Amino acid sequence: MKLPLILPMMAVLTWCGYAQEERLAVNDLKAPETLRDLEEIQKALESSLPKSRSATVCIEMEDGSGSGVIVSADGLVMSAAHVATGVKKKVTVVMEDGTKLKGETLGLVADKDAALIQITDKGVYPFVEIDRAQTTRLGDWVYALGHSGGFDKERGSVVRLGRLVRISDGTFQSDCMLIGGDSGGPLFDLKGNLIGIHSRVGGQLQVNMHVPMTEFLSNWEGMLKAEFIGEGPYAQKPVKGNGFIGLATEPGKKGGLKVTKVGSKSPAETAGIKVGDLIRICNGVALQSHEQLQEILKELSAGDELTLETERAGKPKTVTLKLGER
Amino acid sequence: MLTLAVGAQQSLDSAYRTTGPEVVAAFETQRLVLQKSSAVINDGRTGLSYGVVISSDGYLLTKASEVAEAKALVATVDQTIYREVRVLAVDAEWDVALLKVAASDLLPVVFAPTSAVPQGSWVVANGATTRTSRRLLAGIVSAKIREIPAAGGAALGVIINGKSKVLEIDEVNPKSGAKEAGLEKGDVILEIEGKKVKKIQDIGELLKDRKAGSLVKLTYRRKGEAKTVEVRLAARGELFTEQMSRNDQMSGDFSPRRSGFPRVLQHDILGNRSVIGGPLLDLQGRCIGMNIARANRAESFAIPVEDLKEIAARLVAQVPK
Repeated sequence: MKLPLILPMMAVLTWCGYAQEERLAVNDLKAPETLRDLEEIQKALESSLPKSRSATVCIEMEDGSGSGVIVSADGLVMSAAHVATGVKKKVTVVMEDGTKLKGETLGLVADKDAALIQITDKGVYPFVEIDRAQTTRLGDWVYALGHSGGFDKERGSVVRLGRLVRISDGTFQSDCMLIGGDSGGPLFDLKGNLIGIHSRVGGQLQVNMHVPMTEFLSNWEGMLKAEFIGEGPYAQKPVKGNGFIGLATEPGKKGGLKVTKVGSKSPAETAGIKVGDLIRICNGVALQSHEQLQEILKELSAGDELTLETERAGKPKTVTLKLGER
Repeated sequence: MLTLAVGAQQSLDSAYRTTGPEVVAAFETQRLVLQKSSAVINDGRTGLSYGVVISSDGYLLTKASEVAEAKALVATVDQTIYREVRVLAVDAEWDVALLKVAASDLLPVVFAPTSAVPQGSWVVANGATTRTSRRLLAGIVSAKIREIPAAGGAALGVIINGKSKVLEIDEVNPKSGAKEAGLEKGDVILEIEGKKVKKIQDIGELLKDRKAGSLVKLTYRRKGEAKTVEVRLAARGELFTEQMSRNDQMSGDFSPRRSGFPRVLQHDILGNRSVIGGPLLDLQGRCIGMNIARANRAESFAIPVEDLKEIAARLVAQVPK
């Protein structure tokens, strides 16, 4: 099998070591039988938990939060497509100790609920190993981590134990109980190798779904390049040109565009733009005509950011706004 | 997203899943402790909660709010049914009730030395039960021991008439301490803890550092007469439940009271609300806590053993000799 590349290389070298390790004996029992079997599960979990937990993060976006897990020292994070919601979006990554870091979503696979996020603050981050060799089998003991219901520093991320109860095309099912906020969080084998990312739950209480590593690895290069792969249901592809700013302009006497109308409750109004303001530059383009602004908007979609260099009574001001949906 | 994957290829027989009989069978030692030292608490034939046997002569602890409205409390320990169950004392803050049955040879739980065990440690709690035998559910310690503040803060459980110039009660929540204290629509709140209150904000200010389950002295006026009563505070979020959150909708049968606990040990055992109140056991079968709330589908709370011992001693000491 050809292995997709991952940075840093160290991760791959370490994985080789892991792959040669033997499976836990208790995983090859149909069910634990003795106190020793139970203790084997407990010991393995307890010893791998601190490292797994240090790499588990909360992903905060404007309207809600999910979870994720760091998989490289430079801060690459695996999460779910329905947490990332799109590519190149700004997110806040919260570490277990509450440290908040800046991040940006890279690519996602919309039909598999897989996504990558990059921590953009420079640093050396704790990370976990990916189970590339796919050593996991049906019935293996596994554990889930995640920021259930959102980040809670007093509580920390929540760990849940279970077994891998179903393996189907593109999905792992476990009986580790998940809830909102866990989405995008990691599922580990007892040695702390990452085997899945939390995706969704079933109508019945014991049904919990995870995205296996294969779905990430087979789309790795595209995701690293921030590509939007596949079609829904976990993320909707942005529609170019459906963004809406909510103002009317006329060309200014000395260049720029003079605002003649601001829509009520529009993104422009929310950003504080007023009739009479002069918009000189939009996303780096010096404006002369309304058509130029339309050209820029044609390439953007609802939710994208617009940076405007404006002037009011001779005073310059930079305004950032988020496009609404037309 | 409440969707199910289709085209399953490999599936583990339910007997071998974490809650399945083949896995649960490995915990027979702990099950025997539940058989002898946990109690099943019913109202007539309706299951209410479980209990912890704390003395050979019939003292039991259970979750107070689950048994508060029972008409005919019945307790079963092992295979013996006790039809006379007395509620001797209640700790409203921790939501623990001390019960007594007429017994002389019960086997009380053995308390674990500490609740400070590593996360990932196995724990065992009551599952469903039959008439004669206790079943169990197993899970792990799953988060840090901590306080669970009252959801939405501590509240009296009244709605004040916004049009009135005084603090006139417009509505009394039926599950609230205000109701228990006899407050009615039309009563005017004058003082809390001896301090005059004139605006709703004054009440909020006086209650903001208080805990759910604690009592406050409240003076009110009815038909020109002033009267002072003690009112039990409750978590606002549990008195006035607004629309269920998405997480609540997916959580099934969660405990009505699930916040406002001074300290909890969190685990991942998913029972329903009626398996609350029994002991939480460690792998050695020792009692490491008492199950006090099923918060949601991913989080269950127990009172840690240190606190449980202190509560038990205090409640037993309150019983008149």
